Amino acid sequence: MILDNLFYLFVFPGFLFVAVLGLLVGWVDRKVSARFQFRVGPPVLQNFNDFFKLLGKQTIIVKDSVKSLFIAAPLLAFGTLCLIATMVGMALFFEQGFHGDLLVLMYLMMVYSVMLVLGGISTGNVYSSIGAGREIKLLLGDELVFILVCLIPIVKSGYAVNLEAMIIAQSDGMFIGSVSGVIGLIAGLLCIQAKMALRPFDIAEAETEIVEGPLMEYSGPLLAFWKLNHHIMYVAYPLVLVVLFFGGFNLQGIGILWAVLKYLLIVVLMIIIKNTNPRLQIDNALKFFWRVLAPLAFIGLILAVLGV
Amino acid sequence: MIDYILLLVLLPVIVGIVNLFLPVVLQKILNSALFIFLLYPVYLLFYQSQWTFEWMGILIFSVDKLSLMMVVSIQIISLIVYIFLLKSLTRVHEKIFMVYYPLTVAVCNAAVMSVNSWALLIAWGLSGIFLFLVGLMGTQENNSESAKKTMLIVGGSDVLLILGLVLLRFLEYSNGWQLWKIGMPLEGELARVAFVSLLIAAFAKAGVFPFHTWMPDYSKTTLTEGVAFLPAALDKLLGIYLLARLVTSVFVIGIRMNLILMSIGAFTIIAAVMMALIQHNGKKLLGYHAVSQVGYMVLGIGSGSVLAFAGGLFHLLNNVLYKTGLFLSLGSVEKQTGTADLDDMGGLGNKMFLAFLPALIASLSISGIPPFNGFFSKWMIYQGILEFAKDLTAGQQLWALVCLILAVFGSALTLASFLKFLHTIFLGKPREKYKDVKDAPFNQWLATGIISLLCVGTGLFAVKMPLESLIYPAMKEMGMALPVWLGTYSPLLVFGLILLAFIPGMVLFLLIKNIRYDEIYLGGMEAVEKFRISGTGWYNEVRNMRPLKGIYTAAELKIFDLYSWLKNIAKGLGKLLSLLHMGQLQFYNLWIIIGAMVLFWMMK
Repeated sequence: MILDNLFYLFVFPGFLFVAVLGLLVGWVDRKVSARFQFRVGPPVLQNFNDFFKLLGKQTIIVKDSVKSLFIAAPLLAFGTLCLIATMVGMALFFEQGFHGDLLVLMYLMMVYSVMLVLGGISTGNVYSSIGAGREIKLLLGDELVFILVCLIPIVKSGYAVNLEAMIIAQSDGMFIGSVSGVIGLIAGLLCIQAKMALRPFDIAEAETEIVEGPLMEYSGPLLAFWKLNHHIMYVAYPLVLVVLFFGGFNLQGIGILWAVLKYLLIVVLMIIIKNTNPRLQIDNALKFFWRVLAPLAFIGLILAVLGV
Repeated sequence: MIDYILLLVLLPVIVGIVNLFLPVVLQKILNSALFIFLLYPVYLLFYQSQWTFEWMGILIFSVDKLSLMMVVSIQIISLIVYIFLLKSLTRVHEKIFMVYYPLTVAVCNAAVMSVNSWALLIAWGLSGIFLFLVGLMGTQENNSESAKKTMLIVGGSDVLLILGLVLLRFLEYSNGWQLWKIGMPLEGELARVAFVSLLIAAFAKAGVFPFHTWMPDYSKTTLTEGVAFLPAALDKLLGIYLLARLVTSVFVIGIRMNLILMSIGAFTIIAAVMMALIQHNGKKLLGYHAVSQVGYMVLGIGSGSVLAFAGGLFHLLNNVLYKTGLFLSLGSVEKQTGTADLDDMGGLGNKMFLAFLPALIASLSISGIPPFNGFFSKWMIYQGILEFAKDLTAGQQLWALVCLILAVFGSALTLASFLKFLHTIFLGKPREKYKDVKDAPFNQWLATGIISLLCVGTGLFAVKMPLESLIYPAMKEMGMALPVWLGTYSPLLVFGLILLAFIPGMVLFLLIKNIRYDEIYLGGMEAVEKFRISGTGWYNEVRNMRPLKGIYTAAELKIFDLYSWLKNIAKGLGKLLSLLHMGQLQFYNLWIIIGAMVLFWMMK
């Protein structure tokens, strides 16, 4: 039992799987983005090289900072993301629960932002403070929509909150096949975009403006973990949407191809959105989420309640 | 044999009165003995099925499982706050507070144990009076104003409590003045009036919209210890206790009433937390959160689902813990820096680490971050609402879901508000003027530390600790079914697995351990103090967004404050009446004649 849990968490579908896949998908992102800008782009293993090189670099810690928080934040975020990936992966690959349901997952996804903010503001750097403020505001924006997005599959599956129950409910028709499902996916995709701080929602980190915001003071292994976290999100977060709207993976024969396609569809859409949009201002992003996307997602929820 | 149930009330009263004549040192010793001793009858109560106290053949006090839950919470929280009090108050305040403190505990104990209308009324009223008296001990100039406001709202609602209890007596004559076992359907006007009156009394005490307006003002002006003890903890227990009794034992409410209560709860959450978001005073910010958290309890208890009901009660206990912890941590900081103004603080996390850590844990708990206790109760409430919504019509389903959305979103707003709280006080760039600040003294961090441990403990062992030992027995006694989870969540495993993934990272970091300490990097500029932001303005974008801007402006003008409306109406009426005072005898005669005519016409 304990060994099983450890295997799930650290090997498959947890840490090792999502980290390796994430670093590879990160390469796809960088390569495609480079092609968008008529550059050549990095080699396949560039993300691995970056990670291991950062591990060997010096860590610089601000003298007056709350050091324990500064060090713990990226590692706790890493732990949380591993757990999220395992929960989602267990539901997708094995149709099993892993100690938490969708409500737990929703809140765990907030933990990443909390850690980013706490780690950033523990340093006292003014750019980090500004970035942290933006990160929370963005969280407020996307959280409202994300709740609505999560409620759509909950309602459609007859008020189930367990991830595996949601997949079973989709065994005779994915939720994406309905109007409310489509609306939910569109809104969910943009939420994920914001949660991962990809353009147009890279407001908190805005390299050219506030120098990576909360990450500004991070260096060495701790920065390596933040980068790794970001790559893990590239796997875990799209898979959440797969669970919610595309049903599970049937890993036999042609099913494998379908599974890969389901995942790639979301990732490719994310990369396209990322590369074709300029960064929003934070107040415009809030307005977009609260005034445009939230009503849209609410219409989706109404349709879901009506069974459409 | 001594009647232990009576000890819970009599002993604190005696100690309070004796304290009047003692010097502070003896007061402290006596109080310490009292609060440690009071744990003993509570311990005994666990093993007794039912304890009662009769006086002249009338049943006055009785402790069933719900009362037991409240009694346990009252004793524990009053002991913890008392540890904090041992070294925190100024001499002037200390002397009086040591008298009020045991007396308050006595009346609160009496209120939750009363099964007789009269006893309840007296205890309830007295607890309001102590709230007022503690409010008068503020540190700011306008504290008497806010104490008065509190007295008028909370005391005024006592009138409705009397009305409600009298109506109950009238409706169920055979019951006498006996309470809590009626089970009356909400039919007929009188029953409805009784229900609404009692509901308002409970809401005013706990601070539910629109009767919440005393809470933020009171929090801002009163002693932090007083706030941590009364409105944040004991008044919540009392108010929600009454609410729980009302919807389970006294009345039988239908789905429509469930939906109304849920809406009130959800609206309270969102309205109060939105106000908290933009506050510049730490105590007022916490005061608004004290209101917002009650929303979750009303939402849970009002929803009619057993799962949400258990969640609501659990949330009450959680709120008592973390809200008291937050006020006390802020109190420690306030003692050191001399201010609770958020604009004036910053970067104290390093200097006051022992105040920061409990504040961090309590902040994460109140924001519902797993695996702390706040998340568990919220998780139960959300599931309960989903369970409740399942069998409704489409319109009602949507209505319930909107309440759920507001509650979940309110929790994100709470998180935002508390990250701001942490940033403005503890994190961000340290300020020059606080470079000599000392950490919280031993007794203070002991108190907040115990609360933090309880927050973590009740989060990880939620099913064992409050649920199976306190809440389920109470529900069973009230004839409710035990809740069945919709989802899955094992806090211990979630926490353990996060920790397991955290450890290799930490080990890796420690193995590499190539660290250099340096100043803040600002692209080559010197990190002087002007390069800092306080963080109080983080949410200006939210405040300035239409239509929120208009609502915020209106709220700051006290348009939504029932009290200020009533005050203005009373003032207007007073002006009108003063016009009649003309100082001429013939006019007074005229008024008398007109008055007599009206009377005769009415009696006709």
